[in-house]
Amino acid sequence: MPTAFIQIQHLTVQYGIQIVLDDLSWIIEKGQQWLIGGKSGTGKTTLGKALAGVTTTSGNRRIDFDTTSHLPATAYYISNWFQFTNLEGDRNFYYQQRYNKHQGQNTLTVKAELEHFARQENLDFSEIENRLIEFGFADVQQSQLIELSSGEHKKLQLVKGLWLKPQLLIIDEPYTGLDKNSRIVLNQWLDELAEEGVHLVIISNDTALPNAINRFAQLRDGKIDEVGSPLAFAKESLRQRRTLPTFLKEVPHTPYDTIVQLNDVHIRYDAKNVLKNVSWEVKIGEKWVLQGPNGSGKSTLLSLINGDHPQSYGMDIHLFGNKRGSGESIWDIKQKIGLISPEMHWYFDQNATVWHTIASGFYDSIGWFIDVKFKEQKQIEELMAFFDLTEYKNQLLHTLPLGKQRLALLARTIIKNPPLLVLDEPCQGLDSDQTQYFNDVVDELVLYGKTLIYVGHYESQLPKCIEHRIVLEQGEVVAIENILVNV
Amino acid sequence: MANYFNTLPLREQLRQLGQAEFMDSSEFADGVQALKGKKIVIVGCGAQGLNQGLNLRDSGLDVSYTLRKEAIEQKRDSWKNATDNNFNVGTYEELIPTADLVINLTPDKQHTSVINAVMPLMKQGATLSYSHGFNIVEEGMQIRKDLTVIMVAPKCPGSEVRAEYLRGFGVPTLIAVHPENDPQGKGWAEAKAYCVGTGGDRAGVLKSSFVAEVKSDLMGEQTILCGLLQTGSILSFDKMVEKGIDAGYASKLVQYGVEVITEALKHGGVSGMLDRLSNPAKLKAFEISEELKDIMRPLFQKHQDDIISGEFSKTMMEDWANGDANLLKWRAETGETAFEKTPAGDVKIAEQEYFDNYTLMVAFVRAGVELAFETMVEAGIKAESAYYESLHETPLIANTIARKKLFEMNRVISDTAEYGCYLFDQACKPLLADFMKKVDTELVGKNFNDGKDGSVDNVKLVQVNELLRDHPVEIVGRKLRKAMTAMKTIKTI
Repeated sequence: MPTAFIQIQHLTVQYGIQIVLDDLSWIIEKGQQWLIGGKSGTGKTTLGKALAGVTTTSGNRRIDFDTTSHLPATAYYISNWFQFTNLEGDRNFYYQQRYNKHQGQNTLTVKAELEHFARQENLDFSEIENRLIEFGFADVQQSQLIELSSGEHKKLQLVKGLWLKPQLLIIDEPYTGLDKNSRIVLNQWLDELAEEGVHLVIISNDTALPNAINRFAQLRDGKIDEVGSPLAFAKESLRQRRTLPTFLKEVPHTPYDTIVQLNDVHIRYDAKNVLKNVSWEVKIGEKWVLQGPNGSGKSTLLSLINGDHPQSYGMDIHLFGNKRGSGESIWDIKQKIGLISPEMHWYFDQNATVWHTIASGFYDSIGWFIDVKFKEQKQIEELMAFFDLTEYKNQLLHTLPLGKQRLALLARTIIKNPPLLVLDEPCQGLDSDQTQYFNDVVDELVLYGKTLIYVGHYESQLPKCIEHRIVLEQGEVVAIENILVNV
Repeated sequence: MANYFNTLPLREQLRQLGQAEFMDSSEFADGVQALKGKKIVIVGCGAQGLNQGLNLRDSGLDVSYTLRKEAIEQKRDSWKNATDNNFNVGTYEELIPTADLVINLTPDKQHTSVINAVMPLMKQGATLSYSHGFNIVEEGMQIRKDLTVIMVAPKCPGSEVRAEYLRGFGVPTLIAVHPENDPQGKGWAEAKAYCVGTGGDRAGVLKSSFVAEVKSDLMGEQTILCGLLQTGSILSFDKMVEKGIDAGYASKLVQYGVEVITEALKHGGVSGMLDRLSNPAKLKAFEISEELKDIMRPLFQKHQDDIISGEFSKTMMEDWANGDANLLKWRAETGETAFEKTPAGDVKIAEQEYFDNYTLMVAFVRAGVELAFETMVEAGIKAESAYYESLHETPLIANTIARKKLFEMNRVISDTAEYGCYLFDQACKPLLADFMKKVDTELVGKNFNDGKDGSVDNVKLVQVNELLRDHPVEIVGRKLRKAMTAMKTIKTI
């Protein structure tokens, strides 16, 4: 007779008038390893938090921890979203600040953070050392937290939770931003934990899962709906194809041949080389994919192009036909670029509505803007309609499902119809249908004289228009090649 | 060197003291044009120096840093800050003669020696910029007559100056031109361009004078910003311990309480802060803050008088000359207080609890902000200047207390502020002795609302709300806060 590990009864969670979980009852039996999938916006994250007891709910939750086990009798939740704070709990960081170098910087190093966690949870650091190497996370231990890329932040969160080995481990979107190898390592690690007696609840729509997963469910109308396999998860309804707004069919004025020219660029922080001898030329109209493992320097490379990196000055860099540091301001540069990145998304203004978010794209500001003229208002409306965002226009961006947030941010990047699109893992956290839709839009956009730099780990998840590839490893360019046939 | 302010005739003193004009954004239409292609050399590369330089360079201007020879040879932090960000760095001799604009961003105390070293090297007709006017106004530094002297003072810590710029915004900034040094009449154009370069033009710019900036800045920092927050924190902690509240809890409430409470002040002014209390607690906080204002008014006035007369800077400079004897003594004493030595306990305090259990601090902040503002305005300083130097900066200082208590707060603020803070604290504590005797844990340490039914007299509440909202600091505050957030206001279709 199976024994219940967790019993949930009459669980209800309500935000304002919106009921997210509705009188939900669920039993997780000992030995079960669950995957929760399905459509975004159905309450998966809320359920994860409720299971871990980190959100207030009505109803009962009972966990029968195994008192004889050597594993901590606790539930641990790894969030899909990371709110970065510095040592003093100051949230007022902006993503670009990670490139500024200031002595006496007051954020923790990765190592210090892990040691702090070890003390707090009474863990032994030696247990983790090999794991860090396997996970490709050993080299960043001396980095300041603020210097980490999104994939590396994800790894840090995962390392902490997996190291702890709680009897109940809930991971919300574990694979977001991880490179290919890290995903494999993560799944092996999770399987080992399951073997040791950890109960997993994984929230994801990914298909490459730990072998241990043996139960599947989605949420339907605020209740648990167990299904036989991930194939049975409800899919997002495919969006209707719409015509691209006319203003995006105007070819941007580009009186130069080369968008980006980097010659032998080095970026270092003290002894750490982040980029070594990087040379790269992007000509007008070219469509590039930029690839490399987590921490290989991709974001840093993009920051040189986007005007965000203070060390760009004094390097041999030409952007849009001008030598960097010849009197242009970063706003002159940004005005020609539509940028989307996970880091920017993290630090995006929490008070911005969807409408504000898109409007701020005219000013390259983060949520702020001065005034929007009639013509610009029209463009925002057209774009909202194009992306099916009109009904959300007055909602706060961060309260939308992730897929919608990404579309709103994409709308923000293209609202000014810039000559260059820099899309840094724009589909992180989206399922395959959402990714497909997003990339289809990109393919259509670039038909009209745009240059594209796209970061994505998986060939199958790239826009079809990609024709060139640049690959970084440990700060060096290891390949620059043409892609003849799309996979 | 004679105190500059004291050399002026009364009418000129009043004119300069009363200079404060909130500038329209159309005044910045020329952008950074006035400095485009000019050589900008920043002296000093600490938090303000580095972050302002990063912004100016990102605005398309030509920025390099000059440091003392020893700082370069020993590769000190300032040298690393500049070189790590790929700035050109050189000695005074190498860079100053090439500069069109020299920006002095060294600590106040070094100004005299820095200016004496830099000035002879400056080229004919160049511009010298300060971010604080102490050296000019109080020390009476005389600048070569061919040089233009301006001030650009962002009213936020350096890190915020950078963060807001990168977000596409800026921080409120005060600019001035020294009337004795504007031979070519280019001072304002350059100050405005500099201000655009750091992003200040997007958050509200106050056209001020060296005199107004110094006399109001000194007043704000020694009374409400640092002095009263220190006194109030220490007295609150001691009171809780005396009454048997757990010391760890008391330490945490005090350390983080000022920050949480003044966060409400930042968004909604004094009335916004009091609105976070229950009605009965609000009436109580109003009542005791009225009492506190009466008790402390003479002390605030004395500080303002000594600042205006130059007595304050004279005594402080004597202490500088005496190897900082008093400053170091007071600093050590601050490090020894029970509050400082008791670590914040490992207890959860909810956001609202900081208000409900710390009504006393709400009263201290209201009394201090209003008194500092009133005293400055009475002395001839304009409401706009008085607002920035009192209410606006209080949350910034509270934030430093939340980081590492008073010792850290005093370490971060300028030497001048630190000296004035101790001066105030020494005098204020005895003044409040009788008042504190009456204070019990309902005002500090426990929830004021416990055991009360929450009822209040309608008329009384209406009156108090009106008094709070109609205070001049609230009226000017509403206007200035609006400018700071003008860009995020909703302009819906």
